[in-house]
Amino acid sequence: MLGVIYALVATGFTLFFGVMDVIKFSHGDVVMLGAFTALATYAAASGAGITHPALLLAFMLAAALGVMALLGALMARVLVLPLRGAPAINVLLITLMAGTAIRESVRLFYPQGSNPKPFPRLLPEGAFEAGGFTLRYDSLILLGLGLAAIAATGLLLERTRLGLAIRAVAQDPETAAVMGIPFRATVLATFALGSALAALAGVVNGLYYSEVNFGVGLLLGAIGFSSAVVGGLGSVWGAVLGAMVFAALQTAGALVVPGGSAYRDVFAFGAVIALMTWRPAGLLAERSAERV
Amino acid sequence: MLEVSGLTVRFGGLTALDGLQLRAAAGELLGLIGPNGSGKTTFFNALTGFVPVSGGQVRFDGKDITGAAPRRVAACGIARTFQRLRLLSELSVFDNLMLGLHLDLPHGPWVNLFARRRLAAAVRERAAEARELLAVFSPALAGRLAEPLRALPMIDRRRVEICRALVRAPRLLLLDEPSAGMTPDETAALMDDLHAVKARRPGTAVILIEHDMAVIERVSDRCLVLDYGRRLCEGSFAAVSRDPEVRRAYLGEA
Amino acid sequence: MPVAAWPALAAVAIGAGLAAALLLVHHKAAVLAVLAVGAALLVVAQRTRAGERAAASAAAHPRLVPVAVAACGLGLVMLLREDNFALLMLCTVALQTLAALGLHLQFGYAGVANFAGAAFLGVGAYTAAVLGGHLPSVLVLVTGAGLAALAGLLLALPLLRTRGHYAALITIAFGLLLRTFLEVNDTLGGPQGLKVPGFTLGGLAFNDAIVFDEDTEWSFYVPYAVLALALLGATHVLVRRLERSWIGLALDAVRVDETAAAAFGVNGGAWKIAAFCVGNALCGLAGALLAMVTGFVAPPSFAFGDSLVLVSIVILGGIGNPLGLLPAAFLVVVLPEKLQGLQEYRFLLFAVLVILVLRLRPGGLLPRRLRRWPGLP
Repeated sequence: MLGVIYALVATGFTLFFGVMDVIKFSHGDVVMLGAFTALATYAAASGAGITHPALLLAFMLAAALGVMALLGALMARVLVLPLRGAPAINVLLITLMAGTAIRESVRLFYPQGSNPKPFPRLLPEGAFEAGGFTLRYDSLILLGLGLAAIAATGLLLERTRLGLAIRAVAQDPETAAVMGIPFRATVLATFALGSALAALAGVVNGLYYSEVNFGVGLLLGAIGFSSAVVGGLGSVWGAVLGAMVFAALQTAGALVVPGGSAYRDVFAFGAVIALMTWRPAGLLAERSAERV
Repeated sequence: MLEVSGLTVRFGGLTALDGLQLRAAAGELLGLIGPNGSGKTTFFNALTGFVPVSGGQVRFDGKDITGAAPRRVAACGIARTFQRLRLLSELSVFDNLMLGLHLDLPHGPWVNLFARRRLAAAVRERAAEARELLAVFSPALAGRLAEPLRALPMIDRRRVEICRALVRAPRLLLLDEPSAGMTPDETAALMDDLHAVKARRPGTAVILIEHDMAVIERVSDRCLVLDYGRRLCEGSFAAVSRDPEVRRAYLGEA
Repeated sequence: MPVAAWPALAAVAIGAGLAAALLLVHHKAAVLAVLAVGAALLVVAQRTRAGERAAASAAAHPRLVPVAVAACGLGLVMLLREDNFALLMLCTVALQTLAALGLHLQFGYAGVANFAGAAFLGVGAYTAAVLGGHLPSVLVLVTGAGLAALAGLLLALPLLRTRGHYAALITIAFGLLLRTFLEVNDTLGGPQGLKVPGFTLGGLAFNDAIVFDEDTEWSFYVPYAVLALALLGATHVLVRRLERSWIGLALDAVRVDETAAAAFGVNGGAWKIAAFCVGNALCGLAGALLAMVTGFVAPPSFAFGDSLVLVSIVILGGIGNPLGLLPAAFLVVVLPEKLQGLQEYRFLLFAVLVILVLRLRPGGLLPRRLRRWPGLP
């Protein structure tokens, strides 16, 4: 389950990297902002008298995904595209700072932003028992939602013209441009897509834990990035694989290391560092060699 | 001096070099020509350790340097230029030249941080040598040692790159398409530069990759034609340019 | 025509004056006034190209400027000799600049991204906490630096095998890892932290206030401030010498084009690791002394946010020019304290500032110049 959330975040990272050779460090905070946008929409919508959970959820998702998509495109336009010629470190830094700005803005400007805020329970309660296993209905729905989104993204990349454009630009921007694919528009679309996925991850996260917290972006961002890297930056299936691996590492860590869950993140990150030392390009890497 | 036998380089399913056979002797300028994609730059990259070698052997002065890392190749006295000019444009001309001298320069903390007067003297000495080397190609260029590299026109940048390769008096010099992107006037100047290199360092072997046949014709002692990673033909430029196989490779069916 | 000495001296004096003003005033309006004056002077300097004249003047009198700076530094400490808080801020600024110098070596010269600067600072700080009572203070400082360098060495293998972004991730992961480790580990004080013994030099304990008579008592931060400024000064001189040497050239080559550098025998990996470790040692040194100054260490001070603050100092100051680090550190440390309303907003403010700098003036406050070799005009 955790893996699905991570996968949603990781896919965004991998898309950004593929298209622009950029690590958008603000991604994790976009996830968090997506969750908060949904929360705000909830407050507004229920204030307006809407009470049906499915309807509320629909509004929240629409708002969160829409606003984040716009934000993603805006960030691409203002922060990333103009820095194309600059050393890679600059882009890294600017997105890192953008993430910080988002995080601090939420903390400061959202009412009571620095405290964890309860997320509305909009999914059916109750669970489904079968032979000793308990599967909560809401977990199932969220799992389904997440997997559907990932599958939809995969399909979009493989089957649609936009997907083709994204993959073309990721492989070879110059040739793609020569072939008539609009570079800027594709980049903006990619960032919008990745950010929408992030928003979904935020909402799913909120629904799952029934709570959102302004600081969740950092950790999720680091995890998402690690997952994307482990799977091989640029490969969507790699990102999914990496996410699952990370979630598994965390679970293993909680079990294996004495003193358990506190050290779980230490274990997982340590394992990621080791993995990257062993396989620098990732598990499902698309190696890109530098022309000498 | 350089003996290459059976050199093979494979990238996945693509064979870039296929059992290449090549020799270069001291003092000669060997022109390496061939259609695009025939493996010329790949040969340089394999020789200097930037690309893994799948088979064959490379011997330099009797030593086996097959697959050696770039640093070791440089230490043996082999220097190169790059197809895509690889200079440090934010730095000065002098800084760029000194990179070529890296293996001969001291890098210990005492010399660099504390014995400053000695460092200053060494720097002055190297600067004088650098000016002298640049003057071989262009006296005007020699006066621009302290300027940022990005202030120089293309032909001067190429000269700096060639000088960077020459500054440690290499035994083998590899030049990768130095005339790329140059006007006819600049190319003519380049040809004079290459003659000057031969005159100044008569013991050095040079392998020159070129597309501009006029340059090859004027400066090379011998030619080797590459096609699909294999040696197609070898000999003087005149002989090679008359060879029907070569004409077919370049121009298609006669 | 001999180049006059006064432009360089004037620049140093003005800088010191602004610093003193900023440290002394308390009223918000006064602080803003000082900032406005500073900004106005900057604009005037730009228009009249005074900066270049000052630089030329400094180059022509190489012995003079360090003496002037040292004098102004001591003068500042004397001026503030009874003001505890101001001196504490001065110490913090000096030591943050020292750590930033380390980062500057990594980022600006070797091109190695380090987002765990605060973590290495923490290594030094905790060393001071643990070893403080058992070893002579000077040795504690040295050990703090050494351990920080060793900690960095742990990351050597992963850093070498990966590139650019991946390397950044590794440092971030390490920072998070260390922080969690410190919080969870009770032998190191856990979330509450540890107390740190003060600095002692041959029986003279820095933590004792200097009492002359009933009326005159100097803040016990005075010796700390002098030590911090001295360390900063010495390190600055060494770093500048490093840049203007064969070492500086090798680092530049590794940063700009590692492939071309390799073709001429440069061992990129070794240089990067060396720069990384030396930079971390500086962070550790700063951390150890800072711990002694504040007397206390706790995990929340060495979080990712603090690493980002260090990075901000490096960027705002100008990647590649160490002179900008001190003014940048000054602004970053002192302003939030003086403009209390800003405290809450400081991360946001720094983030926005850095974004603006990267977009509009990537060179920073003081962009980098061509290398000036000793021996060449």
